Formats: sequence, C-alpha cells, structure tokens
Amino acid sequence: MDRLADVSNLRSSQSQTQISHLALDIGGSLIKLVYFCRYDDSCRDDGDELRSQNDSLCSKSDNSQPVLEGRLHFAKFETSKINDCLDFLHSMKLCLDGSHDGTAPPSNKIFIKATGGGAYKFADLFKEKLGVSLDKEDEMECLVTGANFLLKAVHQEAFTYLDGQKEFVQIDPNDLYPYLLVNIGSGVSMIKVDGDGKFERVSGTSLGGGTFWGLGRLLTKCKNFDELLELSHRGNNRIVDMLVGDIYGGTDYAKIGLSSTTIASSFGKAISDSKELEDYEPEDVSRSLLRMISNNIGQISYLNALRFGLKRIFFAGFFIRGHAYTMDTISVAVNFWSKGEAKAMFLRHEGFLGALGAFMSYEKQCLDGLTVHKMQQKFPISASSAGDNIYCSLNSNSDENGSIECTVYGT
Amino acid sequence: MDCLVAGANFLLKAIRHEAFTHMEGHKEFVQIDHNDLFPYLLVNVGSGVSIIKVDGDGKFQRVSGTNVGGGTYWGLGRLLTKCSSFDELLELSQRGDNSTIDMLVGDIYGGMDYSKIGLSASTIASSFGKAISDKKELEDYRPEDISLSLLRMISYNIGQISYLNALRFGLKRIFFGGFFIRGHAYTMDTISFAVQFWSKGEAQAMFLRHEGFLGALGAFMSYQKHGLDDLMVHHLVERFPMGAPYTGGRIHGPPLGDLNEKISWMEKFVQRGTEITAPVPMAPPGTTGLGGFEVPSSRGATLRPDASALNIGVLHLVPTLEVFPLLANPKMYEPNTIDLSDHKELEYWFTVLSEHLPDLVDKAVASEGGTDDAKRRGDAFARAFSAHLARLMEEPAAYGKLGLANLLELREECLREFQFHDAYRSIKQRENEASLAVLPDLLLELDHMDEEARLLTLIEGVLAANIFDWGSRACVDLYHKGTIIEIYRMSRNKMQRPWRVDDFDLFKERMLGSDGKKPKPHKRALLFVDNSGADVVLGMLPLARELLRRGTEVVLVANSLPALNDVTAMELPDIVAEAAKHCDILRRAAEAGGLLVDAMTNTVDGSEGNSSSVPLMVVENGCGSPCIDLRQVSSELAAAAKCADLVILEGMGRSLHTNFNALFKSEALKLAMVKNQRLAEKLIQGKIYDCVCRYEPAPAS
Repeated sequence: MDRLADVSNLRSSQSQTQISHLALDIGGSLIKLVYFCRYDDSCRDDGDELRSQNDSLCSKSDNSQPVLEGRLHFAKFETSKINDCLDFLHSMKLCLDGSHDGTAPPSNKIFIKATGGGAYKFADLFKEKLGVSLDKEDEMECLVTGANFLLKAVHQEAFTYLDGQKEFVQIDPNDLYPYLLVNIGSGVSMIKVDGDGKFERVSGTSLGGGTFWGLGRLLTKCKNFDELLELSHRGNNRIVDMLVGDIYGGTDYAKIGLSSTTIASSFGKAISDSKELEDYEPEDVSRSLLRMISNNIGQISYLNALRFGLKRIFFAGFFIRGHAYTMDTISVAVNFWSKGEAKAMFLRHEGFLGALGAFMSYEKQCLDGLTVHKMQQKFPISASSAGDNIYCSLNSNSDENGSIECTVYGT
Repeated sequence: MDCLVAGANFLLKAIRHEAFTHMEGHKEFVQIDHNDLFPYLLVNVGSGVSIIKVDGDGKFQRVSGTNVGGGTYWGLGRLLTKCSSFDELLELSQRGDNSTIDMLVGDIYGGMDYSKIGLSASTIASSFGKAISDKKELEDYRPEDISLSLLRMISYNIGQISYLNALRFGLKRIFFGGFFIRGHAYTMDTISFAVQFWSKGEAQAMFLRHEGFLGALGAFMSYQKHGLDDLMVHHLVERFPMGAPYTGGRIHGPPLGDLNEKISWMEKFVQRGTEITAPVPMAPPGTTGLGGFEVPSSRGATLRPDASALNIGVLHLVPTLEVFPLLANPKMYEPNTIDLSDHKELEYWFTVLSEHLPDLVDKAVASEGGTDDAKRRGDAFARAFSAHLARLMEEPAAYGKLGLANLLELREECLREFQFHDAYRSIKQRENEASLAVLPDLLLELDHMDEEARLLTLIEGVLAANIFDWGSRACVDLYHKGTIIEIYRMSRNKMQRPWRVDDFDLFKERMLGSDGKKPKPHKRALLFVDNSGADVVLGMLPLARELLRRGTEVVLVANSLPALNDVTAMELPDIVAEAAKHCDILRRAAEAGGLLVDAMTNTVDGSEGNSSSVPLMVVENGCGSPCIDLRQVSSELAAAAKCADLVILEGMGRSLHTNFNALFKSEALKLAMVKNQRLAEKLIQGKIYDCVCRYEPAPAS
C-alpha cells in the first residue's frame, strides 16, 4: 500500500472538515494521530439513525454548554516519513486556537498534545515546520488514559481471540481494575493499571514489533510490515523451528507436558541444516519470527499478571494490527502458560491508546477553553463502522483511518 | 531432566566453590551451605530453555521454559552473519556495538533518558528496532553488531523470564547452565545484568563451574546409585593436571596416562614454538602417537573466544577425608588468609613462585640423581607449572576460587605428576642429622632453666628454628651463607620480645598459672609441624617434650605427602626414635605412643616398667601441601583431635597463609616467623623476620 496515496485520500475526504483538537503519539516506528472533526453540513453523511440518536441525547444538555459534535479520527504515519505527517498536518489547516473557523494562521501560542519519545525528539522540527509547540504528555500516562477511556466508553472495544474465533467481552466499567495493559509498539511496555491515573510500568521487553519488523526485514527483504505479516500467514514454522518432536523423535515429551509440536527452540533448525538464508522461504521465516515474538510477549505478560494477581491482560499497540495469527499466538501463549486460567484480550483501537490519551489530556488543562468531558458518562459513543470482521478494523479500511463518533462540550 | 537435576544437586553439594556470580567480567565464588540449598531454580540453556524448580534430591518440576534459547541465537545468527560456528558467532559479539541495530530508549527520546520509569537512554527499547527504518540491507550491517544485538536480546530475555519464575515461587537462587552459557563471559554478564535489572538488585544469577557436564554427571549418578549420594564436599579433591591450562577443561582424546607421553607432549609443544606463557587451545603437535588431540576450531594465534572459560579439574574421591572436628565454625571457615582475587596480590605471588622455580627444578632433578631422564622431567615440570601460572594470570578464577594455599598445592601436585616424589629428600635428611646431633646439648641447656625461662626459651626456639624454610626465598639465600647451627643460634639471639604479635604472657599464664596457682595441664595437644631439620628437631620436639613432661598427650601432625622440605608423617617416627635415644621423656612417651615398634629398648636407665608416661603419637594430616585446609583432613587426624584441648600450628604455611584467622573449639597457639616482607606488611604490619605468637583461649561455651 502506498502511504502517500493514503494521505491524499485523507486529505480529500477531510479537507472541508473543521479539525479541532489534534493529538500525536510519536513512537519509534509510527506516528499515531487522533483528531476531532466537527460535523458541518458538508460532511454529515452518516446514517440517520445515528444522527438522531445523538441529537436526542445532546439536546438534553444543550442548554448548559455549547456542544461540538463530530468524529474522532485516527491516522498513522511511519516515523521515518515524518515529513509526510507534517505535510498532512499542514494541509489540514489546523484550527487549534479556539476560533474553529479554520483560517487562523499558526502562531507560537499553538500547542499540540503529544506523547511518545518523538514528542521530545521532534519538538524542534514541529516548531520549525508548523510553528506549533508540542505539549508533551507522559507516554505511559497517555496509554493508560487511552485504554481506560476505550474500555469504559466504547461498546465492544475488548475481545478475545482464540482458534480464529473473535468474541467481544463486555467490560463492566465498575469492575475494570486492576488489569495489565501490554502495549506492543517497537518495544513492549507492561503496565499495571489500578485506576484512572493510577498505574505502574512493571515490566517490558525489547522483543517487540520493532524486532519482528527489523529482523524480518533483514531476513526476508520484505518492503513493509504488512507485507511481512501477510507472508507469515502462508508460512510453516516447522521448517525453521526445532520442535519438541524433532528432539524426542516425534513422540511427545508428555512427562513435562510438552507436545511434540511445541517449539523447543525458535530458529533451532537453522543450526543443523546446511541450508543458507536464501534456501528458506520468507513465509516460513516470517511465521517463525512472529510466533517467537508473540509467544514470548504472551509468556512474559502472563508471568507479570500472575505476579500481581491480575485477571485481565489487554494487549494493544501497533504490532498486533488486528492480525489474526498474531492474536492467536499471543492467546495460545497466555492460555498455555496459565494452563487456561488467564485470557488475552485485545482492543479494537489497539494502536491509538497513546494518541487518544494525549487527546484526553486537553481536558485536564482546559486548553482553549474547551473541555472534552468524560464522554462515556454523558454521551453515547457509537463505534464507527469498523464492523465485526476482524480483517476490516481500522487499519485495513480503505482510507487507513477509523473514527469514533462523539460529542464534545465547549465551555 | 532427572539427570540434569541430579547432576546439579551433586555439584552444588559436593564441590566447594562450584557456583559463582559474574558481574561486569568479575567472578565471585559463592559458598553454598548444602543444608540450605533447596529450593532453587535451575535454568538450563540449551537449544531451548528449561526452567526447573528443584526442591530436593529427585524432587523437581519443570515450571517454565522458553523457545528463545541457544538454538535461536545460533540459528538466527547463522542466517544473519554466515558464521560457520557457534564459537565464531560468540567471538564476533565481543567486538560488536548493538546500538547500530537496536533501537535504544535514547533513539526514541532524542538522546534523553526516560527516567520517570527508570529507563536510561542506553536501555534497549526494541531489539533490531533500527533495522526497520534505515535504508540499510542485511549486508550493510556488521556481523559483529548483529551477533551482539542477538546475544543481548536472548540473554536478557532468558534472564527476565527466569527472574519472573523465581519470583513466582519465591526462590532466592537462580543457577544458569547449559551449552549457551559455556563460560562465555559476555553471556553470563548479560544474563546477570538482566536478573539484577528486573529484580532491582534483589536476585543474583549464579553459574556453575562444571555446567557443561550436568546431564552427563547426572546420568553417571543414576548409573551407580550406591553411596555416591552421600558424598560430602570434604570427600572430593579437585586436581588440575598438566594439560588443564591448554585444554580449558575440555577433553580432546584419550588421557595422557603415561609419564613419557606427558613429557614428550610438553617437549613437542615447545618445539612448535608456541608461546608457553599465553596458553591457547593448541593445535596437535603432529598427529602421530600423541594422544590424538583434535583440531580446535579456533585459530592457534588468537586467544580462545571463551578465554574466561573455567578449567575443570579431575575430581579425586577421597572418602577418608573429614572436616577437622575442632573447627569452631566449619561453615564459615575459609582456609586462605590471602585472597588472590586481588590482582596485585596474585602478581606478587606469581613472581615469587616463578623466581623460585629454577631452584626448585635443580633440587628436584638432584633428588632423582641428576640423570638425563630427571633433567627431561624437570624441564617438563617447569613448563607445565609455568603454563598453570600463565593460565591463572590470564583468568584467576580458571581453577575455581584461588587462594595461596591452592597455588602452593598446585605446585606440589605438578611435581608429583612428573614423578618427583620428594625433591628435598636429601636436604631433609642432611638437616635432620645435623639437628639431631646438637639436640642433646639443647635439651641439657633447657633442663638447667627454671620453668618460666624454659617456656620462653622453648617458644623462642620454635620461632627461631622456623627460619629453616626452603619455601622462602630469603631463607634460601641464608642457607648458602652458614651452617644450620650457626643460623639457628643467630636466629635465636635475635628473638627479642616483644614479638610483632605477642600473646606469650597469656600462654604462660595458661601453662604455669599465676599467683602460685597451678593450672590443670592440657589433656592432649595437637602439634602441626612444619619443616624438617632444625624446625622440627630443635623447635617443635623440645616443645612437645615440655608438654609431655607436664602430663599432656602429644600428637605430632605432619603431611601425608612431601611438600618442599616439610617433614612428613612417614619420616617423623624415625626422627623421634633418634631423638629418644638421648632423652628419657621422649623415649617413654614414644614407646607409649607405639612409635618405637622395633623394640630398640636397650634403654639408658633400664626403667622398663615405668612406661606410665603419656603417649607421643604421630598422625598424617591427609594433605601434601605446605598449607592446610582444615575442611579436608585425614580421618586419623580427625579421630586424634576428638579429645584434644590444645592446637599448636607452626610455620607460615599452616598458621599464616592458611588458618591465621581460623577459630577453634579448643585453645590454639599459632607460631611462625614471617619470612616474607610483603606478608609481614600485609598481615601484621611488620617486617621480614618478625614473629607471630598468637594464643587464643578456647571459646567460652
């Protein structure tokens, strides 16, 4: 997929929309954007039913505060192509100074909420190119805020995935905490969440999405992450991995509960063969790599959940990408190590927790006199049309972005 | 897996200093109390990783594992670097820089730490994460960097998962073994770092010296399930034969059993011009008839990639060895006074030993008649011992925890290996004869003194006679200048109190009492004797005689095997018998102790029936070194010690180099002359020829 095309696509579809409130999460590999678009007549193209629902609810509180209705949009760029992102932002005619008329020129007083390491690394670049300052929010805090928001406010946000079966989990907002949030970006952070703003990064691992894509690129010459994931779908890891059956001659090593198809050593067969890298199918290599990393993340996550007695583990981050096999492997790992006692759960808006959290932080500071209230309590937020099909979640939409319809109060 | 656990249990219980920690290249041996060994976590890193919780002998459970292990390192490494061997890949990693491939926290945060959650800029955020964004292809990365990045990724991960499992079961100790570790310093460091990092310093990774042999050892143990289970640490003596410095403990073919093979091995080794002072894995010195050493994979000119790998000695099972029963606290006991892990100390002692080597070789060759054969053996011994020294300079921990006692013992072992059974035999004989000749005069002189003067003169005599020590460079020089008696007299004249360490008054009070009160004599005294000649004849024997005269049983404790000019338990009875010819007290005591077996009872006074004397006995101590490790003594000595209430340690080796700080259940007297400037400074802030007379009363109990 050509990312430039995506951008122009975004551009054309959103150019007439007024954007207020944009937040960024600039990670090691990807830049994630969340921005709010006010509805105006020209882009009100959603189903009537939804509209009327919103209308009715909004009207109840209409008299107290001005209401901004619109959509939260999600978009992403590769960090290495940060200029695309800057171009995109430039073209969006950001109106972040509170006037919302889309014409205000950028000024030094404009702040954008940003999180992730890049918020520090690229602060000067944003200042220079767009004339905006990045208002830096703590990465972990944003992740947690974003996750808490999604889990409480968005219907059918969390789901389990096992043996190809996706099952949505109804989360009781009052019985959400504590849980373990595993954010798989380039690296992996494991965060114990005890409540709003109450959390601790308890662990992590350097074997994450960056490792999959980095090693995968070196081993397979794939051009992008999605291509590598796609390859893994058709691969057979037995060619590369050493299985328990390979060691024990095809019989299970049942005494210690290992079946013959359990991986004893990832890439372990690459030792003994006289084969070189070129002799292996990229599909098999990709599959083996994916299993190695997913399994490892699942295991370490489970061990940490166990350590703190946490029942729920939510996996998020852009590594997952709604990819069935990845989720399956993580689920199997959690299931295997916990002997069925723990379940891995995933979030539909997995990649945007940080950006969303940064977005939510506008509320705290009442920037521009606009407050994003705890939406889940006052406003129905219907999920966007991502649908039930897992392969059609946000990132695989044609315009590479998803949105959540919502309403924001202006004060 | 049964084997693995059995092997680990055996090693941890039976071998002292089997476990060690490894942080930033520094090894530290850990003393494990075998009564407090369980439970522990055993992490075996082979192709994959097994994590086993061990609760006792035969009681264990595989609690976890990971498929990211040694096979992953080598498999991925091979695909990415085209290395042709595991060792080569490991070696590459030592020259690598992982920051070119790994995405560090600093890369994401623009060089800043993410200090809020305790991540420094150099923490790896994402292994291989930089390989994403760069335009570089596989060929553009250095294999060294790839190897290091891979090694860190896998080692950290193993460390992390192991720690999480230890935490889960509340285990204090994590032992790592398996071929992936292989004594490779960097691997051990990264694993240790990971455990330390994730546990916030509360847990430590430990490694096993014999880690490569766990499975095989366990299989062996199961094969002969008779008695070996009860083996205790003190039953095993680990020796490092000649080849140890070269092979790094690996077996390269059949052992060189025959002496001639050993010598020619050494000779060919030298002929090949290999630098003997920097032992490397060696190429075969010609393929014919020499033990069939296989070609090692490393190039001969370079150092092993695992230069820090530890050597494995040959374990000798000596079931008769026991822990000395009078040790106050056997678990805390550490024989060595000087810890050679201080590199300066190590260098000093290596220099001392190296300088002393030519003289020792001369003596050894002469003791075997100076034949051509003896000369050949002498040369081979010198080379073999130099190689040991060089290896230890390179890696002080190569043979386990290294104390001065071990080093001195190694020398004696090495001599024996080349069949020099007693290099000082003729010297000892000559000195014994010379000393025995003047003994009657000395005894006469003593008998004319009052009790108090006599005791002082006796102790002075022991200290003065202790100057005769071929192990001391300063004394070897002295020997060339005068006769024994001259030196002894000169030495005794210098004995002016106060000595550098002087508890004589305390000892005197114990012996003679104060205010006219006569204390009860000791029941039995153990006298650990040192050198032949004047030392034992003019020093210790008269002291023994004094004790006997007071009604104390005396046990002379001497070496089982020769070491330098130390007197052995084999030689002592003859010396005592000779001395007994001139002294009634000694004669009757020796008779009572069964020392005069050949009925040479043509006694001076014919008082045949008057053998009610307390006995004088001789026992061997079970060792063949100038020092003594009281955790491993002969069962004979252990038995003799049971009713002893006084221990007298004499000489540098037994009372200073070792046991200076040892505490006993009985009274103890430590007597020595310090014949080494450095030791004098270090130990007693004194100078060469200073004396130590340390008396320690029995602990109140």
